[in-house]
Parts: sequence; C-alpha cells; structure tokens
Amino acid sequence: MADASAGTRTARGIEVVAERLTRRFGPHVAVDSLDLVIPANTTFGLLGPNGAGKTTFIRMVTGFLLPSSGRVRVGGLSPVEQRRAVCERTGFVMETSRLYPELRVEGFLRFAGGARGLAGKRLAEAVERAMARFGLEAVARRVIGNLSKGYQQRVSLAQAFLHDPPLLIVDEPTGGLDPVQQDEVQTLLAGLAGTRTVLLCTHDLGEARRLSTRAAVLRSGRLVAEGRTGDLLGGADPLALFRPSEARA
Amino acid sequence: MNALRALLRKELASLFGSPTAYLTLMLVALVTALIFFDHLRLYNQILFVYASSNMGGFDTDTIPDYVNLWDTVFFPVMETLGLTLIGAVPLLTMRAFAEERARGTDELLVTTSLSPGQIVVAKFAVAFLFVTAMMAVSFVYPASAIERGGLGAEHLAAVFLGLTLHGIGVASIGLACSAFTSSQLVAAVSGWAVAFVLWDFSWLQPFVGESAARTLELLSLHPRYGSFSEGIVALDNVAYFGALALVSMALARFSFDLRRVGS
Repeated sequence: MADASAGTRTARGIEVVAERLTRRFGPHVAVDSLDLVIPANTTFGLLGPNGAGKTTFIRMVTGFLLPSSGRVRVGGLSPVEQRRAVCERTGFVMETSRLYPELRVEGFLRFAGGARGLAGKRLAEAVERAMARFGLEAVARRVIGNLSKGYQQRVSLAQAFLHDPPLLIVDEPTGGLDPVQQDEVQTLLAGLAGTRTVLLCTHDLGEARRLSTRAAVLRSGRLVAEGRTGDLLGGADPLALFRPSEARA
Repeated sequence: MNALRALLRKELASLFGSPTAYLTLMLVALVTALIFFDHLRLYNQILFVYASSNMGGFDTDTIPDYVNLWDTVFFPVMETLGLTLIGAVPLLTMRAFAEERARGTDELLVTTSLSPGQIVVAKFAVAFLFVTAMMAVSFVYPASAIERGGLGAEHLAAVFLGLTLHGIGVASIGLACSAFTSSQLVAAVSGWAVAFVLWDFSWLQPFVGESAARTLELLSLHPRYGSFSEGIVALDNVAYFGALALVSMALARFSFDLRRVGS
C-alpha cells in the first residue's frame, strides 16, 4: 500500500463553524440548533447513532442542503451563498456505492479532477499523484464496479484528494468493508492527521478513537457531547452517549 | 469550462462505453426498417391489385392519384416514426438524472466545481447528440423514399430537421421527468405520459371553445412535426421545439433547487 502521509505535510486546514444550525424535513427536525466549532487541522469525529443528523449536517457543510435556520461557515465562507468556493476547498469521500461503476479508475479520476476545474498537465499530475498516494496504479485500467469494496473506497478517497483540499469530509469510510480493508482505509486516513481538517462521520467508536483527536456526539439532531476523543469515549460506558435519555435512566 | 468539458466527456464515456447505446441504435434502425418495408409492401400490394384488375397489365394511368409513394409510404412512415420516438426516447432519457439520484452520485457532482446549470446543460447536450445520431440511423429509409419520390434535397433536409427536433423535444420532456425522481421507471412512464398528452390535442376540440382549441393546437407536437414532413421549415415550429427544450432545462435546473430546499 502507498504511504498515505506522502506529499505535503504543511498544515493548511480550515475551520468549520456552525451557529444555531437547524434543518427540518417537514415536521421532523434532523439537526436542531447545533452550535459546533471544528478547529482547523484537526481530525474531528462526528459520532452518533443512525438518524442522529450526521449526514444532514455534512450536507449543509457542502451546500448540498440549505439550512432551515442558523448558519454554517467553512473557512469563513457560506456554503449557501458561496457554494462553489466552498466546494473548491472541500473534498468529499462518500460511501463506496456512490461511484460510477461503469467507468475505469483512471477515467473516473480524470473526470473528478476535471470537474474540480483541473485540466491538462495539472490534471494528469494530480491523477498520477492521487493514484500513487492511494495505491491505485495497479488497477488504473480496471472498471470500478469490478473492484473490491476496499479498492472502491480508495478510489473515493483519491477523487477527494485531487485538488488537495484543506477540508476533507469523510462519511462512513469503512461501512461494509471487511476488517483488513477497514484497517487499510483507516491507515490511509491516519496518515492525513494534522495536514488538513478532516471531518470524519462515523458510528464506529473504534474508528473514531483511532483517527480523531476531537469528537462530537449527535443524537436526534442535538449535540449531546463534545470534546477530546479520549475524554469522550474513554469512560466505562461510552455507548451511554448514544442511547436515548430514557433508556439511560 | 474545464468542469463542463469533463462532465461532457464522462457522460459520453458512460453512454458509449456500454453496449446499450449501440444496441439502441441498432434496434431503432431495425424498427424503422420494419415500419418502412411494411408500408412499401402495402404500397406494392395496392399497385398489384390495380394492375391486375385492369386486364391490360401494369398501366399507371389506371392507378388513382392517391395511390402514390408519397401518401402510401412516406407520410404513414413519418407518422409512425413520430409515435415510435415518443415510445423509445423516454427509455433513453430515464437514466440521465434518476440514476444519479438513486446511486447518490448527484451529491458527488454538486460538491465539485460544477454548477447545477452546467450539469443540466451537459446531460441535455449528450442526450440531444444521441437523439441526432438515432435520427441519422432512422432516416435512411425515409430518405430513400424521398429520393425515389423525386422530392429533392431541400425536402430531405426539412424532414430530417423535423425528425431531429421532434426527437429532441421528446428527449427534453423525458429528461425533465427524470430530474424529479430517483426511479427510472417513474421517469420513463411520466415521460411517455407527458409526451403522449402533448402529441395531439385535436380530440379535445369538440369539448372546448374555439380559442382554447387554437391554444391547445399551438402546444401540440403533432402539427409542428407534421409541417416538417411536408417539407416546410417554419420558424415558429423551430422556435416551438427550442422553447420546449429550454423550458425542460429550466425545470431540470429547478429540481436541483427543490432538492436543496427539501421538505
């Protein structure tokens, strides 16, 4: 596997700030008055059970969804009004199924780089660099749909890295992977620590412990805890943070 | 522009990288050939009946004026082709946006430097290109009928333009329908439904007033398309298909805003 820490080690991350951020879907409140600061150059774990509002929060950070009220700032920019500028500073790693299975790895990366505005020599170099960083040279000509899930996740990581973004958003990076593939992907992500801001959305506590320095726990759209990952998840029963209040009582 | 170019290239690679595109082109050519030769067979049978009923053998003077290549083969073929396109084109366009939604790759697209407008332009442009290729394949037989009928290159060009614009109009409707759903089946069925309703409003004329009937006719696909078949390229008919494409593109673009606001 390629060394994920290869390349620049200069810290160039940006801060993400949410202020009373709320998102409703009809009567359902997916994110409820969320105040959160994700400091620059940290790997920040966004934790919570399914349906806690993690993905909705991420979608508001990328500008894919508009907030119902409140605001979010990415490196001082608004994803609502400056969506393109925010996208230029953001890399988004989605679940493995969200790729184009009919495209070849190199072709897909060339498309992803082009869609980020890269062209010509810069695009070729970015694709080459990303393939080297994530160990994809051997499968460059293979169709994405025929790759293992572990390799598909590497492709997903590589596409997010083409434009070297200061903010990387990673949504459930190891979901559906076997333990060896999980370890590979986590090693790649661990190599990014300190070089940029990484927002890691997961419900895997082990993954959060291994990769993040700070974390926040969402439940039913509300922030229930935030702090150093070791402090948050180091107690006797860290799962208590995930359970509904009545279940804990 | 780099981003738009990259998306156009990806769309073309997705379309022509799979056998579906070639299979569709082949099927369209086959269906068109079947329609054409079936009408030609009928025309020959009619000719044979007239020829044999006049004991003097094949004498063209005995054949009525209305039995000619134009009315018996060409017009019916164009009419059937128009309806065939309404049936076939939504099957091609149903994937465009609906599949992106179903796979979640629409989120990948809108988190790049691509604007929703560029995504819409790329999807429509590639669909229009494919429809034009499809029309070129379909046009071989009507072209031969026009050539045989001695109608000339101008008429040929008008008919090709009409067929292509009709195909683009139906594709626009199909793409707009695809932009509002994640189900390809819903996209195809709604595309058919809208195109069939728009095809011809003349059946409504007895039930509505004269001015309403006139307005409905202005909105119909059939009279616009039919005028090209007669070799007439009227600017208002070209503008009609252009407006249909633009309205559909605006609707597809609106679907992105709707998704962002959600409910």
